[in-house]
Amino acid sequence: MKKTENILLRNREESSAGVPPAPNRQDACATLTGRRYWRSLDELSDTPEFKDWLHREFPQGAGEFDDPVSRRHFVKIMSASFALAGLGLMATGCRRPEEELVPFSKAPENGYNYGTPQYFATAMPTRTGAIPLVVKSYDGRPIKIEGNAQFPGGNGGTDRYAQASILNLYDPDRAQRFTSGGKTVSRDAAFKFLDDLSKKFAANQGEGLAFLVESSTSPSRARLQTIIAQKFPNSQWFTYDAIDSGIHQRAATQAFGQSVRPIYHFDKAKVMLSLDCDFIGGEDDAHNHIARFAKGRKPENGGMSRLYAVESLFTLTGTSADHRLRAPASQVGEIAAAIATQILNRPATIPAGVDPKWISECARDLAAHRGNVLVVAGQRQPIEVHLLARAMNSALGAIGNAVTLLPALGRAGDSIDELSGQLNDGKVETLVLLGGNPVYNAPAALDWVATQQKANSVVRLGYYEDETFETAKRPDDWHFPLAHYLESWGDATAGDGTLVPIQPLIQPLFGGLTELEFLARMAGESQTSPHNIARQTFGRSEEAWKRFLFNGFLAGPAAKPAIVSATALAPGINTISAPSASNLEIIFFRDAKMDDGRYANNGWMQELPDPVTKMTWDNAVLVSRKTARELGVQSGDMVEIALNDRKVTGPVWVQPGMADYSLGLALGYGRERAGRVGRGVGFNAYKIFTGKYIETGATLRKMGGTYSFACTQDHWSMEGRPAVREANLNEFQKNPEFAREMHEKEPPVVAPLYPNPLDEAKKTALQQWGLVVDLTSCVGCATCIVACQSENNIPIVGKDQVRRGREMQWMRIDRYYTADPAKETMADPYLKDSEQQFEQWIDDVQAVNQPMMCQMCEAAPCENVCPVSATMHDQEGLNVMVYNRCIGTRYCSNNCPYKVRRFNYLDFNKRPLADLKGPFYPTPLLHQTDGKWDLLSWWQHPNTSGMREADEWDLLKMAKNPDVTVRQRGVMEKCTYCIQRIQQAEIAQKVKAGPSGNVRLKEAEGTIPKTACQQACPAQAIVFGDISDPDSSVTQWKKYDRNYAVLGDLLTKPRTTYLARIRNPNPAMPDYHAPYSSEEYEKRGGEFHAVEKGNS
Amino acid sequence: MADTATQLESLVPPKELRRGPLVPAHRSLGWLTDHLTAMPEGKTPRWWWVLFIPAAFCAAVVLPTMLIYLISTGVGVWGNKQPVAWGWDIINFVWWVGVAHAGTLISAMLFLTRQHWRTAIGRAAEAMTVFAVMCAGLYPAIHVGRVWFAWWLFPIPLTTGMWPQFRSPLMWDVFAVNTYLIVSSLFWYMGLIPDLALMRDRAKTRVRKFLYGLFALGWTGSARQWHNYEKAYLVLSGLATLLVFTVSSIVGMDFATSQLAGWHETIFPFYFVAGAVFCGFGMVLVLLIPLRKWCHLEEIITLRHIDRICKMTLMMSCIMAYIYGIEYFVAWYSGSPYDAWVFGHRLFGHYYWFGGWIMLLVNGLLPQLFWIKKVRQNLVLIFVIAVLINIGMWFERFTIIVGSLYQDFLPASWHPFYPTWVDVGTYVGTLGVFFTMYLLFVRFLPIIAISEVKAITPQADPHHPLGGAKGGRP
Repeated sequence: MKKTENILLRNREESSAGVPPAPNRQDACATLTGRRYWRSLDELSDTPEFKDWLHREFPQGAGEFDDPVSRRHFVKIMSASFALAGLGLMATGCRRPEEELVPFSKAPENGYNYGTPQYFATAMPTRTGAIPLVVKSYDGRPIKIEGNAQFPGGNGGTDRYAQASILNLYDPDRAQRFTSGGKTVSRDAAFKFLDDLSKKFAANQGEGLAFLVESSTSPSRARLQTIIAQKFPNSQWFTYDAIDSGIHQRAATQAFGQSVRPIYHFDKAKVMLSLDCDFIGGEDDAHNHIARFAKGRKPENGGMSRLYAVESLFTLTGTSADHRLRAPASQVGEIAAAIATQILNRPATIPAGVDPKWISECARDLAAHRGNVLVVAGQRQPIEVHLLARAMNSALGAIGNAVTLLPALGRAGDSIDELSGQLNDGKVETLVLLGGNPVYNAPAALDWVATQQKANSVVRLGYYEDETFETAKRPDDWHFPLAHYLESWGDATAGDGTLVPIQPLIQPLFGGLTELEFLARMAGESQTSPHNIARQTFGRSEEAWKRFLFNGFLAGPAAKPAIVSATALAPGINTISAPSASNLEIIFFRDAKMDDGRYANNGWMQELPDPVTKMTWDNAVLVSRKTARELGVQSGDMVEIALNDRKVTGPVWVQPGMADYSLGLALGYGRERAGRVGRGVGFNAYKIFTGKYIETGATLRKMGGTYSFACTQDHWSMEGRPAVREANLNEFQKNPEFAREMHEKEPPVVAPLYPNPLDEAKKTALQQWGLVVDLTSCVGCATCIVACQSENNIPIVGKDQVRRGREMQWMRIDRYYTADPAKETMADPYLKDSEQQFEQWIDDVQAVNQPMMCQMCEAAPCENVCPVSATMHDQEGLNVMVYNRCIGTRYCSNNCPYKVRRFNYLDFNKRPLADLKGPFYPTPLLHQTDGKWDLLSWWQHPNTSGMREADEWDLLKMAKNPDVTVRQRGVMEKCTYCIQRIQQAEIAQKVKAGPSGNVRLKEAEGTIPKTACQQACPAQAIVFGDISDPDSSVTQWKKYDRNYAVLGDLLTKPRTTYLARIRNPNPAMPDYHAPYSSEEYEKRGGEFHAVEKGNS
Repeated sequence: MADTATQLESLVPPKELRRGPLVPAHRSLGWLTDHLTAMPEGKTPRWWWVLFIPAAFCAAVVLPTMLIYLISTGVGVWGNKQPVAWGWDIINFVWWVGVAHAGTLISAMLFLTRQHWRTAIGRAAEAMTVFAVMCAGLYPAIHVGRVWFAWWLFPIPLTTGMWPQFRSPLMWDVFAVNTYLIVSSLFWYMGLIPDLALMRDRAKTRVRKFLYGLFALGWTGSARQWHNYEKAYLVLSGLATLLVFTVSSIVGMDFATSQLAGWHETIFPFYFVAGAVFCGFGMVLVLLIPLRKWCHLEEIITLRHIDRICKMTLMMSCIMAYIYGIEYFVAWYSGSPYDAWVFGHRLFGHYYWFGGWIMLLVNGLLPQLFWIKKVRQNLVLIFVIAVLINIGMWFERFTIIVGSLYQDFLPASWHPFYPTWVDVGTYVGTLGVFFTMYLLFVRFLPIIAISEVKAITPQADPHHPLGGAKGGRP
């Protein structure tokens, strides 16, 4: 079991005088619990020194403290003490006034209100930028990450990774100690080692010193890098990112002859072409892309952009595209060249198997919108394709408009290949690894485990004791725990060039170091406090610094575009022979959840359904139907893929919309040492990874044996049901009410026998809540699901339980594949689900996404079947769930047509994942945890016992949102529209209103809260508010012609409604179609009303 | 005098119209008493032990193990999931309620309609009812997520002021099943009293005398007691007959009040009553065919009885077939695409098409064999058909519950359902409870209502041409 090494505030000596003697944690822990970190205020304060001090400081109050009865008084004293004492006591907790943390909304010096959330601006660093954030913190615990809505150009949206990153903070499997040779050493010894190292290399000019780092946009790190380069002139600096997004910058720099990087403005382009660029899904900065893309697609405003996508994997970008060309990734360059040539009106050679008309019409459309176009090439494409895209952008006048070029960021180090060469030549004596996990994710050809050993000493700053730690345990190898960004001071540059601060919300839980502190100590700097380093880099006045922290970004003009317009040269494209069954193409892609593997131990991410495949807890070999047929495999078959004499084994997943003869391999799985959650999940595609993301010449062999996936969605087709309603833009303009006409036959509305009690109750309510989801904006990125999970304390259930259909996420995104009905046969509806993978219709599919959460039906079917009134309506129109009252008959779930209710089949909150692997779940009657009989611990501590180890418990509890009940087993739960936020807003308004009586929440006054999903949505596709307020946006949205209710024909009167999805395909294109879903609906629609189509 | 006698003789109906005696053996009343008490009073036969030991093992070991595991660990030990939140728990509940039906129907409804043949099988069927309701009643209690709060289903005045929600059909269920359990137990027990007194009077050991005496409630067989007894029996049978209809109707309404395609049907109350009676008759046959042989009751439970039960079963099967037809008709006629999907997939669907075929063929078609008299007299064949009926009815409930839930309105949430070993174990456990109790009943109580059977012997009826004081054979 891992134990916390050190929780005590390290810099106690820096704290001001008058600080109470902090309890001696080592002693206290040894006698009290054996655990070494903060559990409760009581525990913390229950030491003689503290009591003694209390008596001296508060002679009157101290008596109260000893009196166990007067709890309330105690709390008062405690808050007073803490306010005065500052940080001395708050061991793991808040480090509020100690260093210059300036809160986002409230100043702490006015007194801190316990239980009131505080918000701090910070940022999550990414490889090529940073995501500006506002983090919600309760009593010193960060619990929820939100985007910084005040960031210029930001809308408060974030991405999945940012939302989930908070769980990494509380990961019990984090690196928690300093080690040398794999053995725990003291922090002081570790620092001494760094000092010695610094002195040693200062003496020899850094000869034999090499750094391997990950990309970063931190100016402070760049500054330290410069210092190190000065102090150790012979040291070397290498950069490696398994998922390298730097190609955009490299290509732009090469194309324009200046050190620049491109920024894409998807909102400014009318016609876009994506060359295997998953800018909505796998590319860095996707949340910004989504925001801009969605902004450019508002059918009501008439302005609706058009997206052409050429891709082999079926990505979220392909899902959102109006025209999608399914082509092998290795052929994208040729296709791009063909389009480019066509734009110039020259005859082009069209790659085999591609419809020439697709190319020519796409080129014509691009050319026709000169000045308003955008061509983007994907991160996995070779640089030639990027150069070609730049050339097209230049030729079509996109530079300075939809593409702006900013000065390049970061100083690229040499590549890992060169480092490998240096190591093999014996030129590296000490290898310093900052972050990263090269043993796991370095290109296979480098044989990194052996290469790394060639350095005498490997010094690593790492977040986990992972694969790299495991192979660096020689006596001279050192490992330092890395601090989470929520524990760190630092800075970064956002994608648009704006400087953003990284400020901590909590003292490092396990005493981890930041990169800045580590580098400063390496460099032998006198100033090693990361705060001071960042402050020093920032320069400027103290006032400006405070404002910087307060805002979460450096206000003022963002970086100026480097080049306003320029012409880039088109490169030649090498022709690569098209892949075939014996010459398969492999695409290594960034996983939507694991990134490059760093989120492997994050249960939310593991359990998040992949946005396209809906697979959880696994990766797979994605192949097209045709390829699977030819290779004689089907979903679940184990196969061996051979590439360059390296082999990897994994299960096959037949993916609709995949290009033929392409294999999609998600990186980031198959971790051998990731922690208790992520170990052994999926297979490790890095085993055949060469550093190139597209490879040809692979072969596939069936191994025998099958594999079982845990997918949250089994059935692919919508079966002609109008759940998602779609139309093309021109149809929509001709018949704006099409979505409402797609209703199924409704029963005639007769006067109800019993009036709905809500009609009467409404009159007493101040607001009526409602929510609208715009399916045109929604790209299905699934950020909302993670946000909801984080906000609402939703448990993780594990792969086996997902396979059994017991995932707990309150919202899901339904993804349906729709196909040309001409390809479907009437037998299809009666085919077994698993046989869908063999049907031709899945080759060229469209996909639609539909976020599905509680619909808050006014006539809720769940309510009248509950025998104990555990689910009922409040007067504000919410379908509320009373957990305390629920006995778990589950009838409500059966009667919910949307199936949005989730049931705690097991005690998911108390059981660790290993105990949920079925088919035998250990019973608490016999189970032992930490060597203690569970029943006994339950008897002693009814609320904290369970089948989890103690260290897990403490961290788990810290991660929970205190506003939301943690549900017991046997209880039904569901989306509440984030009722805790509504309640807080209502209470706050009541307090504010005082005698004025102005207690109604109004959007105009900014008092309407945002639901977690709405807040996190980068596309702004979700709007929540008061539907009784005629001016609220939700009311406005509900008035749109596109607004419809799913399953409205059941007369459930849902409060959640959807805006129909509008596609904008080009009528001249050969694959122009009405949306397949509408065609399917009409074809199957014997019972449905036919859509009156304007253009037929 | 001789003339009159001759005239009386001519009143005997012609042979083809003559009804045979219900107890054809022409045994004396004393022989009947001895014979019918032989099982409770005699030595335990070997077959009883062979059956009892495994049944008792299931009841005393398997079921408690499953329940302790379930309650300590969570409903997740079963296969229930989203969207199939009800699985074997409710399937078996409905199945046991169905099994519970024939008993009361036979003893109460046939009593009211003066069908005297019921006397030979009434007691055995009623016992089946009582034990099956107990098994049925177990499921709603244990299937809830928080078993320790299951008592919230009862309307208990609490300081919280919380009452159950009376609009919920699950609430109605609580009343219906409990009422049924109480009334059918009372009915069964009341019918036992004269026989318990008989056992008491014949008891040879003090323990038996005491125990039978205790439960015989001081029955002396006086005319006054018989008078009251008959009245009470009539009243109770009136009540019980109503309950036959209410219980399964309400169980049907558990489903019909929902809006799920495949459940939301107005025919459900009637459908469930018919199905329950059908299933119950199947179980009566399963129990009685071996019992009459092993307990040497061929002369009491005759082939004519079996024949009549077969005819009843046939009738119920025709009703079932009709309802199946109506369901499909309505699914088509309603025009609801959801109904069309569910019913199409019952037979040709993705996963559980076999359930639909078993249901149609076994319940609707197979009992049509009972049109053939030879089949109705072939005990082996009847037994096989009866077992199949019980299986068929189980699959009917499976098809209705799982088949409707796993593919409902939004295809994205569709998931197939698979039971776990705990589902199976719990079911086996309740079967064990049922058979244990039934075997104990067979061993310690007269399984034939002795007093009632005596009352229908020819010699007990002074007006019967063959009976009364005249005696002798025609």
